Amino acid sequence: MNRRLAVPFGWGLRYAAAALIAAAFIFPFYWMLVTSLNRPDQLYDFPPLLWPDWQFHNYADAWSQAPWVRYYVNTVVISAATTALVLITTSLAGYAFAAMPFPGKALLFGFVLAIYMVPTEVTIVPNYITMSTLGWVDSYQAQIVPFGASVFGIFLMRQFFLTLPTDLWEAAQLDGCSHLRFLRSIAVPLARPALVTVGLFNFVAAWNAFLWPLIVTQTQTYRPLQVALAVFSQTDDQQPMLLAAGALMTTLPILILFLFAQRQLVGGIAATGIRG
Amino acid sequence: MKGSLRLGRHLYEGLQGYLFLSPALILLIVFVAGPGVWVVGLSLTNWDLISSTASFLGVGNYDTLIHDPIWWQTFLQTVYYVVVTVPVGMLLGLGLALLLNRRFPLRGLFRAAIFVPYVTPAVATLVIWQVIFNTDYGLLNALVVHLCLPTTARCLPKLGWLTDSHWAMPAVIIYSLWATVGFNMVIFLAGLANVPPELGEAAHVDGASRIGVFRHVTWPLLTPTTFFVLIISTVAAFKVFDAVYVLTGGSGGPDRSVFVIGFYLYQQAFVYFHAGYASAISVVLFAIVVSLAAVQMRLAGRRVFYR
Repeated sequence: MNRRLAVPFGWGLRYAAAALIAAAFIFPFYWMLVTSLNRPDQLYDFPPLLWPDWQFHNYADAWSQAPWVRYYVNTVVISAATTALVLITTSLAGYAFAAMPFPGKALLFGFVLAIYMVPTEVTIVPNYITMSTLGWVDSYQAQIVPFGASVFGIFLMRQFFLTLPTDLWEAAQLDGCSHLRFLRSIAVPLARPALVTVGLFNFVAAWNAFLWPLIVTQTQTYRPLQVALAVFSQTDDQQPMLLAAGALMTTLPILILFLFAQRQLVGGIAATGIRG
Repeated sequence: MKGSLRLGRHLYEGLQGYLFLSPALILLIVFVAGPGVWVVGLSLTNWDLISSTASFLGVGNYDTLIHDPIWWQTFLQTVYYVVVTVPVGMLLGLGLALLLNRRFPLRGLFRAAIFVPYVTPAVATLVIWQVIFNTDYGLLNALVVHLCLPTTARCLPKLGWLTDSHWAMPAVIIYSLWATVGFNMVIFLAGLANVPPELGEAAHVDGASRIGVFRHVTWPLLTPTTFFVLIISTVAAFKVFDAVYVLTGGSGGPDRSVFVIGFYLYQQAFVYFHAGYASAISVVLFAIVVSLAAVQMRLAGRRVFYR
């Protein structure tokens, strides 16, 4: 009797705790929405207003204070181009490591893995010098090319290509198929799950990037959303409602992406333990 | 004839391998591995990022670093940040993973809610936390003021989360925990998925308590995961930058109270143009990360547990 009661009680307790914690984690996003729709004179109210006041004009005000369209275009261009470049370079390299014989392969693979230890923060000074030598300071390519290859991507693609049966390549080779054609028309289409993981990761990383774009952009022309939002937040006497509106506008695309691709994103992180 | 044909084919295949590898390899060498070496060279100069000349200082920058009180403040504050966020973040991540490991309705939704701060752009979430931490209209202070003690009729004073040098670091830590605990949880959940449930059930049948099962079955089997999370979150914590920069509006906090290695490095290089000095700071950060990675490889090679 006692035991029977204890089980649903334990279950209910666990459920309540989980719900409460989840709500606490999601709350700042809700607060973003509430603040963005508030009236300035209500900000200092006590107790604070916990639900939106629907002042939609805050969004229009925030929108008119900075060239957000430009920033959106910049971020989309940079994220998409980085992702495309990463997918190409990592497919090629992953395939070479998995399926092509060449001298020094194990050594080179070890070298690539060792590169993973170099933190981005450590490379910013030398990379800035490279950018200014190339005349790339304040440009799209400065925010794309340095992130055009990914150690984790190469590793993941290699692991995937290793699982392809060797008969597949042997049969294709008998038909006179080259490595490049085999990769393009057979291996890559089969590797879609791995490509999605690598692509999503690099897209989100490029969208969220902050330190490097902060250093390498100087004007609004090439500034991405994250740097623009940070600059927006440093404006003197910036109204919190407009800040929240700006924050929500820059977060929304990633939140939507997360909603649709949650499994791939979380699965990729769980499988690889990549931490940005 | 046949031999040379085969050799030619071998050579061609080998060259093709390098060809496939080259785009990724060139990018990694030019923008990651190369700079990793170059930064050591730069740290021996007094270069200012702008002029075309620089002179060789030898270990001069490191000597300055050792005698720089701001550096030591920065270093100690970074250690403070690491020593608090890493264990607390791991404990919370493990606790949440254990809580959300069992099957129950809406579990996926709860997991997603805890994980989502990790994937959303840091600048956007930092901006909203800036509003929450605000001394005058922030929600956190509204809650603090609400904690009035009815018996004494006294309220707690409003805290200057981002304006008081004692509270700025706790604010950065609170944000970081919120933003990264979901990551730890996901890794721990993956680790728990590898613990065979039969083991726990068998121990349970043998009369082990729930805590006993955790201590003697789950926890030992989870050791590699725990170790992995420890190293990876320590490395990430030593590199913290975004939270400090955005929460303090690029200032590093009142009385430099949230100066951390990443921030000091950025400021020296791109605010004061002391590229040589910033490179020396980079080398120290690099050394910390590499030694942590070495510890990881050393211990991961040895079997932490056996199945």
